[in-house]
Amino acid sequence: MTTMTLPASPALKINRVRVAEYGALLFFAIVMGLPVAFLVISSFNVAPPSKEAVYGLDNWVRAFSDPGTLTALWMSFVLSITYLIPGMLLSIAVAWLIARTDMPGRSAIEFCCWFAYFVPDFPMVLAWILLLDPNFGFLNTAAQALPFVSGPLFNPYSFWGIVWVHLSTGGIWFKVMLLTPIFRRIGATLEEAARVAGANYFTVLRRVSLPVIMPAVLAVAALSFIRGLESFNTELLLGTPVGIYVYATRIYDYTRHEPSAYGEATALGSVFLVVLAILAYFYQRRLKGKRFTVVTGQGYSTLRVKLGKWKYIAFAACAAYIAVMMFLPLGFLILGSVMRRYGFFHLREPFSLIHWQNLFGDPIFFLALKNSLVIAGITALAAVALYSTVGYLLAGRKVKSAPMLEMLTWMPWVVPGILMSLGLLWLFLATPVRSVLYGSVWGIALALMIKESPVCSQAFKAAFLQLGPDLEEAARVSGASWIYTYRRILAPLVAPVAATVGLISFGNALTSISTPVLLYSPQSRPLAILLMEYSFSGEVERAAALGLLITAMVSVMMLVGRKFVRPLTGNL
Amino acid sequence: MMHRMLSLMCVVICVSVAAAQDKGWEQTLTAAKKEGSVVVVGSPDPVMRSDIIPKFTARYGIPVEFLAGRSSETAERLRTERAAGIYSVDVFLSGPDTTATVYYPEKMLDPLKPLLVLPEVTDGSKWKKGKLWFADPEERFVLRPFNTVASLLFINTDFVKPNEIRAAKDLLNPKWRGKISTEDITTTGAGANLAARFYQQLGADFVKKLYVDQKTVGTRERRQFTDWLVRGTQPICLNCREDDVRPLEKEGFKVQEIFELSDVTPGINGSPWMLSVANRAPHPNAAKVFANWIAGKEGLELYARGYGSATLRTDIDESYLSPGNIPKANVKYFDDTDWNWIVTGRHDYREKVWKLMKEAKK
Repeated sequence: MTTMTLPASPALKINRVRVAEYGALLFFAIVMGLPVAFLVISSFNVAPPSKEAVYGLDNWVRAFSDPGTLTALWMSFVLSITYLIPGMLLSIAVAWLIARTDMPGRSAIEFCCWFAYFVPDFPMVLAWILLLDPNFGFLNTAAQALPFVSGPLFNPYSFWGIVWVHLSTGGIWFKVMLLTPIFRRIGATLEEAARVAGANYFTVLRRVSLPVIMPAVLAVAALSFIRGLESFNTELLLGTPVGIYVYATRIYDYTRHEPSAYGEATALGSVFLVVLAILAYFYQRRLKGKRFTVVTGQGYSTLRVKLGKWKYIAFAACAAYIAVMMFLPLGFLILGSVMRRYGFFHLREPFSLIHWQNLFGDPIFFLALKNSLVIAGITALAAVALYSTVGYLLAGRKVKSAPMLEMLTWMPWVVPGILMSLGLLWLFLATPVRSVLYGSVWGIALALMIKESPVCSQAFKAAFLQLGPDLEEAARVSGASWIYTYRRILAPLVAPVAATVGLISFGNALTSISTPVLLYSPQSRPLAILLMEYSFSGEVERAAALGLLITAMVSVMMLVGRKFVRPLTGNL
Repeated sequence: MMHRMLSLMCVVICVSVAAAQDKGWEQTLTAAKKEGSVVVVGSPDPVMRSDIIPKFTARYGIPVEFLAGRSSETAERLRTERAAGIYSVDVFLSGPDTTATVYYPEKMLDPLKPLLVLPEVTDGSKWKKGKLWFADPEERFVLRPFNTVASLLFINTDFVKPNEIRAAKDLLNPKWRGKISTEDITTTGAGANLAARFYQQLGADFVKKLYVDQKTVGTRERRQFTDWLVRGTQPICLNCREDDVRPLEKEGFKVQEIFELSDVTPGINGSPWMLSVANRAPHPNAAKVFANWIAGKEGLELYARGYGSATLRTDIDESYLSPGNIPKANVKYFDDTDWNWIVTGRHDYREKVWKLMKEAKK
């Protein structure tokens, strides 16, 4: 005998969404709005440190009247745009090939993109220097053997050198990671229809696949652009020697001043808020009144586009890109970790495992490893739980405060990491539960989860936008509660995105330095802080070894994640 | 008879005082162990992690919680903590700049002088100046245990002969254009500090010619300019660090430290850190034990050997040092970590350097 559950009253369902909406708003207003508000107010405090506050505009005037500020801002914009455009185009192509075509080796290509994303930047930039330096770079030296080459072919200490290294370190990996699960959700029906109508592969991608994932494309572009503006590690190593300074470097300089100049740093950081507001405006305008549903209750096919002989060419192109942009510097990075001195091949006995031995022999290594795993685990689980709800609310049409909620979710990227860390430090210390949060793995995990809010929220939002409302309606008509619908229907459909968000959160929690730097205690010190200590004290080889170890840990998690997610998603 | 009586009384008093001191120290040790740990703040440092912490913990059974980070970040963190009523730090092993411009003026310190009680620390004969050198204006908060002759620059002798750089003005030879590296002077740090010193001793024109006309190459990454030095890309390095370069000398690279230039007063400094204790320390007894140990022979020698600095103690064998690093009695040095120079002089000259560089860019 079959029993039928009576549907819950519509009023109750709406209330649940409202509760989630107001709960999310309150949470974000506290954990994201308050730290930023604190920083902005503090930026007007012109009194010396530890003195009673005096408010004025001096910090702002000083920060913006420096002629170098505008030059640096312009350089940041130009650089970000220059590597954003090819990066986006390549990412869309690679993500589509991985998710929607029968290209051989697509799983390996995707794995490599993930792997590359989590390789730490700093030693990778050093690897590119070893390869491209005009005086001793391996590629330049090799090129001298060619008959028609008389001088150095490459120079990393230049505008284009910085662009090239960015394409290698951050270029397409992050974007492919976010776009691939979104492409996976596109049913084959639309593409098949286009093919039947005579469209070629490029037209299918341009006219069918791409428009339906436009929210994700725009979000990823905006995320990448903001990240580009905040980037400064590569520019510090490659730009400083030739006088190329970027905006984030200027902010970083103010935070390093003694006595500190966090007021000026925050004033400069406010430009990101303006950029964000402009991006948000265009984003909303571009998507207004459009629907991007690709998964409905009326049949769903995941058949892949058949590329024919082109599939081998596509694979070769992807493999070549990954070989040059990832494996080439990675090879040097691995070598660096087993060299007595990174890049010095002509030393007596240049190779040694001493840095790995020193790493494992460091008295605080195993405590830091345990802390990192706990922090990353908490961050990943909490991020999936929280941001799947937030993404659902942002994508839903019933949520009145979605624009405000969305703005709040972007807040952590409005201010540079170290400033956000300071804002959170202030917040944690001001709460009654400061003994739980401050200096503990819980506090660091919360901070890291907050910091990744833009990526996680946008990834889930894009995924939920692809789901048709009929899925929920059908479940409701069948008597399912909202929670049951969410758990049994929506969650499995967004599982690939959830896996992506979980792994990104896990990996970023392992590698992030600026967020926990003011929040850790000696008992909760994570591996990333240890990595910073090695880099700071000039122990590049040990930092390289630790960076590789962290990357290996993320890779293991990635394999485990794929194993668990595949059964949920029908082996996509 | 009277004389003997007095002598006997003196001996009795001395023994009693020593016994009382011993008892007091034993009580401090017992209380320190009960406190459970000591929290030390400093810059990221392999010597601290690998040598100091294990040795101190083994000696006294008190774990060291080491909070390492950039000094500006740590200072901001402590300010925020203290504003919220949290006092988490016991001991500072911080750079002279942060100590003089943040911890001392912002009243984060307790007097250290009364806490140093072990005879091997307080005995003036154990110190080259005949007494402990407290560097702060009140002479009781900040102990300076190091005094090293700082190298002015490094050269790669495969590319630069030592007799080619006898004076700072030799650096202006067009032959060295683009061949000199420095830590970026546009921000706070060793690069700007040296430029400030050049400005003070040799004037604005020299600074402009050296850093602008000679196309001196700047970087923020210490490994980068050390590599440039040994590879010969920039065979003259203004801000390379001894602890980075010395291992390379042992590898056979022809690198030489230059300590003296005829037109610049040779310099000494108190790097890598000065010792002070935090007020309202959570582990005051453990802080006292740590401060006495690190200022004593065992702790200071262990650190100095690992780092390669000259201490002010007389009982430390300095054969591990390059002779050039040990201050000579008959030489007048410019003290780069002199309190007044850090707080006012260097700050003002650094500002002048930055202004000069901005004008030069125009």
